[in-house]
Amino acid sequence: MPGLRPLEDWFDERTGWRAAVRAWVNHPAVGGGPWARAIGSAVATCVGILGLTGVVLMTGYSPSPQGAWASVAFAQLVQDGGWLVRGMHYWAAQALMVLAALHVLHGAFVAAYRKPGEIGWWLTLAVLGVAMAQGITGGLLPWDQRGWWARVVEGNIVGLAPVVGGWLQQMMSGGPELGALGLARAYALHVLVLPIVLVGVLWARRALALRVAASSAPPATGTVGSRLASGLLLAAAVVLVLFAITRATHGAPLDAPADPLSDYPARPEWFLMPMFALRKFFHGAMEFWGTSLVPGLAAGYLALLPFVDRRDGRRAAVLLPVVGIFGGAIALALVAMRHDARDTGYVKARAKADVQALAAAKLSVDGVPPGGALEMVRRDPELHGRDLFDRHCASCHVLGDLGDPEKATATDLDGWGTVAWLEAMMHDPDRPQFFGRGPYKGQMPSVDARPKDKPPGEKWTPMVKSDADRHAVAVFLAGQGEPKPASPEADDALRARGEKIVSDHCTACHLYKGEGDDEGSKMAPELSGYASFAWIRTQVANPASAETYREKALDEAMKRHMPRFDGDLSAADIDVVARWTHRHSRETTLAP
Amino acid sequence: MTHESKREPGGRREALKAIAAVGGAVGCASLAVPAARFVLAPAKGGAEGGRWIKTVPVASLAEGEPKRVALIADHRDAWTLEKQVELGAAWLEKRSDTVLAWSVVCPHLGCAVGRAASGPGFYCPCHDSSFDGDGRRLTGPSPRPLDALPTRIEGGIVMVEFQRFRQGTPEKEPVG
Repeated sequence: MPGLRPLEDWFDERTGWRAAVRAWVNHPAVGGGPWARAIGSAVATCVGILGLTGVVLMTGYSPSPQGAWASVAFAQLVQDGGWLVRGMHYWAAQALMVLAALHVLHGAFVAAYRKPGEIGWWLTLAVLGVAMAQGITGGLLPWDQRGWWARVVEGNIVGLAPVVGGWLQQMMSGGPELGALGLARAYALHVLVLPIVLVGVLWARRALALRVAASSAPPATGTVGSRLASGLLLAAAVVLVLFAITRATHGAPLDAPADPLSDYPARPEWFLMPMFALRKFFHGAMEFWGTSLVPGLAAGYLALLPFVDRRDGRRAAVLLPVVGIFGGAIALALVAMRHDARDTGYVKARAKADVQALAAAKLSVDGVPPGGALEMVRRDPELHGRDLFDRHCASCHVLGDLGDPEKATATDLDGWGTVAWLEAMMHDPDRPQFFGRGPYKGQMPSVDARPKDKPPGEKWTPMVKSDADRHAVAVFLAGQGEPKPASPEADDALRARGEKIVSDHCTACHLYKGEGDDEGSKMAPELSGYASFAWIRTQVANPASAETYREKALDEAMKRHMPRFDGDLSAADIDVVARWTHRHSRETTLAP
Repeated sequence: MTHESKREPGGRREALKAIAAVGGAVGCASLAVPAARFVLAPAKGGAEGGRWIKTVPVASLAEGEPKRVALIADHRDAWTLEKQVELGAAWLEKRSDTVLAWSVVCPHLGCAVGRAASGPGFYCPCHDSSFDGDGRRLTGPSPRPLDALPTRIEGGIVMVEFQRFRQGTPEKEPVG
């Protein structure tokens, strides 16, 4: 630009930048074949993308167990362009690892490790090592299930090392457990220490290659300047390819927030799958040696290639182990993935984890509490309530797809508290899906069916005089379970009629608003608020609270009675499971 | 050769070198020692005793049927303290008048051990270790049986001594 000339001159007089640029452009280009140069340029491009997107991601990341997942989910789902930046970072990192491996493989085939290339060769190996270390530390930063569990297992593998294992593991995890300090450490390594090492290694590698190029006679093919255009073109192609992959995959994966108490099927990052597969061959005391020795020997062989290869023409014998290392790693990884794909238990657990990841992502969009993403998950009925029901309730109760009707020993909760359920139950309380298979069998009489043990001719009056009355009671009781009666106002009269029948007839045994049980049975439940969220919460905490079921509910005589959960579950968990049960008993219908 | 060094062969120059070396070393150490102590801090602190945690009433356990229970207590992670949260879980099983407890943490590499898909016993989904109904290893890479936790019964409530163990070793080594 002619207008800027005086300014350029001003700087040139003080810095000599024109001469420096000229010297760089005219410097002999790095030697090696076109493939070596192409891979080198692609590696440099990926490192550039990683640096740029990495700094951008840092501006929106919080390295703490409470903030990490939430900030990554926010970047991914809410913040403009977040998924794109994160996706580019993720895919450039995967590409860097593939390219670094290709660089090693190519170097082995063209004997780049021969004098004077030994140090350059070791630096090429170091690039692969640092790229993998970045993959491991970076994988932990989202603090999601995938990254957290992979790191826990990897930490324990490190812990297997003799003498220093336990110490090293604590250093990495920041204590006996992988926690806040472990995350901060991974972050410091990932964003500062390892990038400095990587750039240093790449710079040293290039400096050595340029030195070789400058001293070789005849001079290397072309100069830096003559290669600039093709290099830039290649860089642009790499960026476009990564962009296309990011678009197609919609960025990087994000699993549900890390939950140390979940049954997560832990798997390592893809580039460690060969080690995972290898593990299956070595058990017990052999484990550490088997699974460290094999990769150790492989790395050692690659590092010692300059000394193994003696130029006596037996290249095939030298290269065969190299092919074996890479081919073996790919084969092992494929075997492990195939094994997983055929393992129905794993496939099921993975599918469950995917559902949870999606649900957590959706929840996070509305905001994550300051206590962190795990707190968000633990307070959500769908994510955690269902899990709690499955673990603590489904061994006796059935609700939706949880619980086994064949093995159930307590009331079937499908449609529990709805008008249809209440009406059917009042008519025949001892049907198996009501009280027939539980401790309350025989306790509640039918409101309108003559008891079988009444001799014919003896006087018997039903508690409700007509089906319409029974319906009125059901409508009234169903309304007790709702925060606000949802049925139309026309039902108000019906409800009033139902309430009158309940007060007049049911309180002989039941309580209604704390009054009743004239016979002092201390058994039949409180009917005000029946099957409401608050009622369920109280019942789960203590079935003998008298605010739901009654003082006798935990008696020895009540075989297989419902246990108290207030010692077993935290108050927050009881809240969540009660909310889930309340919602789903209403969304399901009574089985015929 | 400078005028000065001619006058003082060795003497002052050597002393200055020594002072610079000592000063440099002290300077570096006063930076390096606190930095190293800070970085190494989390590796400190060996095993301490376990914590006795209240779990469920004995009455809630069915004879011979393992039940997974949460171990709820305060949890400290560096600067955070969470009150009454799940620290971990244990499999509890009632056997006549005693209760057996096993940590759900797999002794192999620390995944969560679940019930076997069919029949009695336990199974780890990560590396396919399986254990029988008494926690003994049946198959897979686990180097030892499931980690049994001491229990006692107080006023009808099962108390479990919660303790973490180092993974992957043939013996139980407490950590944390």
